Amino acid sequence: MDRIRTFLRRPKVDASIARLRRRRRAAAILHRNLTKFTTALFIIGYTWMLLIPIPLLSQGTYIDENALQPAQVNTYWNWGDVHTADLHLYQLDGIIDRNLTSEQRAEFFRTEFSKLGLAASTQNYTFTTSKGTISGNNAYAVMSSPRAAGTEATVISASWLSTAGHGALNVRGISAVLSLAAFLKDYSLWAKDIVFVISDDYLHGMHAWLNAYHGTIPSNLHTDPLEHISGVIWTALNIDYSGHSFSHLGVFHEGLNGRLPNQDLINSFRLISHYTGGVPMTVYDHLEPADLVDRWSEWSVLPSWTPAFIRRSPQLQQYEYRARNVVRHIGYQARGTCSGVHGLFHQFRIDAITLFAVPAKGPHGFHALGKIVESTLRTMNNLLERLHASFFFYILTSPGTFLKIGMFLPSAILVSVAMLFKGLGEWVDAGWVREVSEVSLKGTGSLEKEPKTKDMWRNRRRPMLSVLITMVATHVLGVLVFNLLCSRRFDENRSFFVPAILAAVSMVPPALLLLLPKNTPEVAPSSVLLKSSNLCLASTVISIMSLLNFSLAAMLALTMGVPLATSSRSSSTTTSLLRYAAYCILAWGWLVLLPEEVESAIWNWEVLGVWFAPFICIVYAPLVMQAGIVCLQGSS
Amino acid sequence: MLRASVWISLAYLLTPSLSLESYKEDLRVQPLRDGRVSTTFSFVTVLDGVVPRNPTALEQPDESQHYALFPLTLGQILREHAITELHLTLNAGKWNYDDWGHPLEASVRTGAELWAWMGASEVTTVDERWSGLRNALSGLFCASLGSLDSRRTTSPVVAFPLSGSTPSFAQHELRHASLPSENVCTENLTPFLKLLPCKSRAGLAALLNPQKVFDADWHGMGVHVIWKEGTGVKLKLTLQAVFNPARSSAGKRRDWSLQSLFDRSIERSCPVASSSSVSVVLPEEVNYQITPQIAHVEGSAIYDLSSSSNSTIPSNIAMHWPSEHSFQYPMPPLQPLTPLSVKRTLHGTTQTRGVLSVSITNNSPQEISAGYLEMIPALLTLWMHTLKVETNSEIRSDLLSDLKYQPPSRQPNGHLSPSMVQAVLTIPPKSTLKISVEVNKAFLKYTEHPPDAMRGWELPGAVFFPLPQSANNTSSSYDWERIYTPTLLVDLPTPDFSMPYNVIILSCTLMTLIFGSIFNLLTRKWVVVEIKE
Repeated sequence: MDRIRTFLRRPKVDASIARLRRRRRAAAILHRNLTKFTTALFIIGYTWMLLIPIPLLSQGTYIDENALQPAQVNTYWNWGDVHTADLHLYQLDGIIDRNLTSEQRAEFFRTEFSKLGLAASTQNYTFTTSKGTISGNNAYAVMSSPRAAGTEATVISASWLSTAGHGALNVRGISAVLSLAAFLKDYSLWAKDIVFVISDDYLHGMHAWLNAYHGTIPSNLHTDPLEHISGVIWTALNIDYSGHSFSHLGVFHEGLNGRLPNQDLINSFRLISHYTGGVPMTVYDHLEPADLVDRWSEWSVLPSWTPAFIRRSPQLQQYEYRARNVVRHIGYQARGTCSGVHGLFHQFRIDAITLFAVPAKGPHGFHALGKIVESTLRTMNNLLERLHASFFFYILTSPGTFLKIGMFLPSAILVSVAMLFKGLGEWVDAGWVREVSEVSLKGTGSLEKEPKTKDMWRNRRRPMLSVLITMVATHVLGVLVFNLLCSRRFDENRSFFVPAILAAVSMVPPALLLLLPKNTPEVAPSSVLLKSSNLCLASTVISIMSLLNFSLAAMLALTMGVPLATSSRSSSTTTSLLRYAAYCILAWGWLVLLPEEVESAIWNWEVLGVWFAPFICIVYAPLVMQAGIVCLQGSS
Repeated sequence: MLRASVWISLAYLLTPSLSLESYKEDLRVQPLRDGRVSTTFSFVTVLDGVVPRNPTALEQPDESQHYALFPLTLGQILREHAITELHLTLNAGKWNYDDWGHPLEASVRTGAELWAWMGASEVTTVDERWSGLRNALSGLFCASLGSLDSRRTTSPVVAFPLSGSTPSFAQHELRHASLPSENVCTENLTPFLKLLPCKSRAGLAALLNPQKVFDADWHGMGVHVIWKEGTGVKLKLTLQAVFNPARSSAGKRRDWSLQSLFDRSIERSCPVASSSSVSVVLPEEVNYQITPQIAHVEGSAIYDLSSSSNSTIPSNIAMHWPSEHSFQYPMPPLQPLTPLSVKRTLHGTTQTRGVLSVSITNNSPQEISAGYLEMIPALLTLWMHTLKVETNSEIRSDLLSDLKYQPPSRQPNGHLSPSMVQAVLTIPPKSTLKISVEVNKAFLKYTEHPPDAMRGWELPGAVFFPLPQSANNTSSSYDWERIYTPTLLVDLPTPDFSMPYNVIILSCTLMTLIFGSIFNLLTRKWVVVEIKE
């Protein structure tokens, strides 16, 4: 008791001093080992990214919303309905042979819907882009469900072109929608209205329809208001069936700007596909190693000379399979593009997926597809609320496994933290200058010591204004380049503008150097300050982005992490210039190296509103250019 | 046998005193152009010479109620709360005005709708009696009418006028409320049938098979109590259903019969009914056949089923189209059957703002003046300055007149009453009028959210009504009735209720961090500490 009392009564000042000392020591250790520390963070972050596909990090999917009750109903879709679908397919083949225009096609679909007694109409639309206008015609029909108030709706859609693209027509998907319309209207069990949409082309048709439905018509879209409207759309299924038969049903789920549908939709579809239709589900059109026993080597990226025991290793095959899924996911999500027509729905808070019939010689066709869609609709019909229970942030590594956000987010965040520490370290370094001076210690006693050199740390000013101006200037340059890329003139004179832009963006930053003050011992070198702010800004961008769009954040961590952290001035001008050139290529090289990407990114921005193109031009490229300026600034 | 004869003789003894009550029933069947069949049952009981209770005399004991045909349970409620006029409807589905035309009973609002005219009194206020009426009716009909509280109650006197006469004893007030999310099912039909003198054992009500009625595309029931000077209190119980024979028949044919529609037949007529008839509205085309055949009266075939008539009760009434293989839906463009077609949508995808837009199309070659009524729960704030009236994409503010806007007001119980917009629209012939107004969506307290918070909130449909004919107004001679628009669903900003613990833990951590550091700074004693190296 006494000991406790003395412990409590001991002078507080000592404790405070000890604490302050402890803090100083900790800061000193951190600062001394900063390089080791950041390197470790970089290594852990990047390794984590590599480890995302390992099965250990994934967990099994499950249904979270109890109302869904997937695969619990008897389906009524039967061979008679398959016959209807076949008849529609026959008619569609005739349409293709006769080479009807988009308008005539839409009119045909509308007539087919009207014959069923549904409220059907067509929608004509025109998008204006820098490359001219895009127009088309959608056909749609609203089935007012018996007894339902029509406050909620479900959409079943098919686009004229298939996800597989390359001119494949989604004729079987459209036949399926038409025959489903004929089939579904004969049942009174629907609690929500069902809207059937046959959209023109691949993406822009549905985009125009959705915008008209929600009354959010952008300035570059010209269309009339829809004639028939139902309630709030909660879920949507898009059918993509271009082949003759299918072996698996692939699920595509990525939406515009990295949005994902609620995972319950995918999970219930998986169960329904398996139990009701007997069709295995796959992620995208990637078949599992177990489905490709003898053909795996055709799919594998491992070269044929690797030993068989490595190629046949189930763990490695599993890793490779999951890695393919993750890479495909990141490819869609980082670009902000959608992996199918379903992706356009997500921005309107509609959970949607595309069912892709993976082309094969068999064994499934309309019979299985109809049953599965019917059962999935019944599951969606059970919903009393919007899908909200399950996950919205996830990576689907295989049909039955996924990664929670906590399992993949730290990888990008660790890299971003490493960059932040590096930047803060640079900031501290910039504030101090080490002076070596001879100091004679005047001893008080009789002992005479020899004069000793002593390091003196001296504070110095860190003028930020010019650095900030430089940074803002690079971003403004990015805005200018982006506006140019979106202009019609760029599209017409691509061969002239690409080199011109490259020259401009590589020449202007050196000119900016004149803005930066000359290095003096009194003032911190502006290159260090620039590097520090650049790293801090980039780190913030990655952290924020990781919550909105993990894939983009991971890509930024890969492309900006180490390059920005290692930018430094070099003693030789040649090395500096080479480094600067490397940064220029990293920042703007895509203009020359990836012309198709540029084109599609700009189309996505103008028509679909995907902010990947502006983000790259206005945020990413300027950040990398700032690192380039750091190299140049040191050499001059 | 003996016991039955005793009862019958007793009933005969009592009959003279009941001569003031009369009961008649009627069923109208109308084939619609989209292959559906609309059926309307109406059961009318008249209390001759009876006057609604005077609310100023509520304290005094009421006269005794002896009814033979009039339902006592309903009578007690009416007398207890001194109700002059009452209208209650419970409907499921969306009435398709364009294809089905005007319903025989105009009240087809989705869900529950209740409105009552009551005399004002100092004994108990109108609102107190309104609340009592709601609760009593919700008990009687097993419906959630109790939730039609002040958050849903308004007083739109122009759109819902007294249908009967106004008693002279007191100033009358209207209370109106609707509940779009009320589902109608068997538990509402059973008490409804109990109000009939023959229940569902005899007469037309024997057809009301819940299995079939609640499978209809649209169905609804109504209770209307009207007082007319000279006639007395009239209770009209109605049941409407729109069947779809093409959906349920194997050959997708539109042929129907009472047997196929209801899966029941009328075995005997209701003995107390003074008249009982089935009338079939005959279609304009001629390729149909109706059995049993009967002489047509003004485009409809009327079958008398009353016990007094000499004809035998037809076992089944059927209509079929022998030349048709399966029903061919009429192809568009189709002229809508009502002079006005209305579409109402809530645009905008954000959870904070939106645009409420209504487009009204006048299908007739004449200009139509229509009353427009919105009763919007306080969930939405209407920005009246953004109200825009357009036709043919030009602003025509002159087409909207007599605008009355009643903003939500705070009730004594803390609830906000709905806002009410009432206006007169003039719709030019063969054109579409578009009205749009910007709205803000309310941010609710977390306790105000319903258990199914992620569903959204229902916005009752708007009402379009013909204006009372005044002497100088002769232009709109078009005959039309009240039109309801479908219910809308509003997405309000909703917290994530599915993971309350995560939310609580995160917000508490944040609060603790902020509070802790600020508390630390405020209570700390600041001293200069010298640290010797």
